[in-house]
Amino acid sequence: MHAVSTPAAAGVFILAVALAAGCAAPQISSLIERRPVGLPQTAEITAAPFFPQEDYQCGPASLAAALVHAGREATPESLLPQVYLPARKGSLQAEMLAAARRHRLVAYALAPRMEDLLRELAAGTPVLVLQNLALDWWPQWHYAVAIGYDLDARQIVLRSGVTRRLSMSLDTFEHTWARSGHWAMLALPADRLPATATESAYVSAVASLERIAPAAARQGYATALARWPRSLAAQIGLGNASYAMRDLTGAAAAYLRATSDHPESADAWNNLAQALHDQGSRAPALAAARRAVSLGGPRLPAYRETLDGILRAP
Amino acid sequence: MTGRFRRVVAALLIVCIGGIGAPLQVQAGIVSTDTVVAGAERERLTSLLERGDVSAQLRTLGVDPAMARDRVAALSDAEAAQLAAQLDGLPAGGSDFLTVALIVFLVLLLTDILGYTKIFPFTRPAATAK
Repeated sequence: MHAVSTPAAAGVFILAVALAAGCAAPQISSLIERRPVGLPQTAEITAAPFFPQEDYQCGPASLAAALVHAGREATPESLLPQVYLPARKGSLQAEMLAAARRHRLVAYALAPRMEDLLRELAAGTPVLVLQNLALDWWPQWHYAVAIGYDLDARQIVLRSGVTRRLSMSLDTFEHTWARSGHWAMLALPADRLPATATESAYVSAVASLERIAPAAARQGYATALARWPRSLAAQIGLGNASYAMRDLTGAAAAYLRATSDHPESADAWNNLAQALHDQGSRAPALAAARRAVSLGGPRLPAYRETLDGILRAP
Repeated sequence: MTGRFRRVVAALLIVCIGGIGAPLQVQAGIVSTDTVVAGAERERLTSLLERGDVSAQLRTLGVDPAMARDRVAALSDAEAAQLAAQLDGLPAGGSDFLTVALIVFLVLLLTDILGYTKIFPFTRPAATAK
């Protein structure tokens, strides 16, 4: 954000980095000590695209690399109007996630763990990271794309700034990454599950996609259900995405599966009632709506409205 | 106070004029997936206000009004709420590339000196690397 202007600032910076880089970083040290099962010693996605950044635009440049790797058409220029904030000379994390969704990709925020980051790299997915290259009180925020690592050499490989292949000490990287709160994201087509995905985080990422790309979200819920067949949120989400696409048959089928696996879910019964009602199946719709109302819960007023809507219909 | 009031009015106007933020899939009778995931009912009006608020803030930060509307539409409810509450305090990643290049140079120079890396021909490690 600010150019390094004075030798004094640089001096302070060197001192601070000396303190930081001099000591090994906690997560990577423990990783190298325990060598988790299934984590290769080294990996590199050599085919990962690279867009050298211009001016302050490391956000659009890094995002373009991630999107192109996921099979979408994008350039830093095309992403500029989607993520760049002229007055802040940078890009917000939430908008980086949102822009990936605008390309019909699941934007998945990684857990703040070095092991997860490395596992995604080993699985062949570039990881977009936010680093604070300087200090908490003098931040230099920087987006880059991690594409590989070598545990024995204790190095991480990044597409960063104007450097196509930047090899950096894993310890130094962890310090700079920790100062951004260990923020990292993936952009994946909806038919590919992240290697480190958890049920709640993944389904929630797909739910955020549903708002602007229901067809992609429907695929994402199917991906989630292939891995967690009984996920209530994914079952209802599959129904909601189908409903948003006016596929009432698909929606009703998904809600039916949700009520059969989770008969205690009033939300599932309520949505089933609405889909059946829209299909013109009045009797089963009424039965489902009454079931939702009798189960109750914090959204009881909404269930009552659904029931009233069915009762009022001619 | 006045600023806050103006932002709320602006947000309302944006909602009225642009119809933004009205989540596409919210239909009468359907409980949204966001709600199921969050496990709680959301105040829909609050969410609309927040989206209008974020859109107004993006425009004051130099984003074209039409773009701002599309950008806000792609946010999740939680993200819209977070940006509405504290956009000013959030990091906007975007270091000038000269600064980045300089910092990376300094870091690598230092790790060279400390013996972690060996990139520059002119450095001599202070201690022997293990």
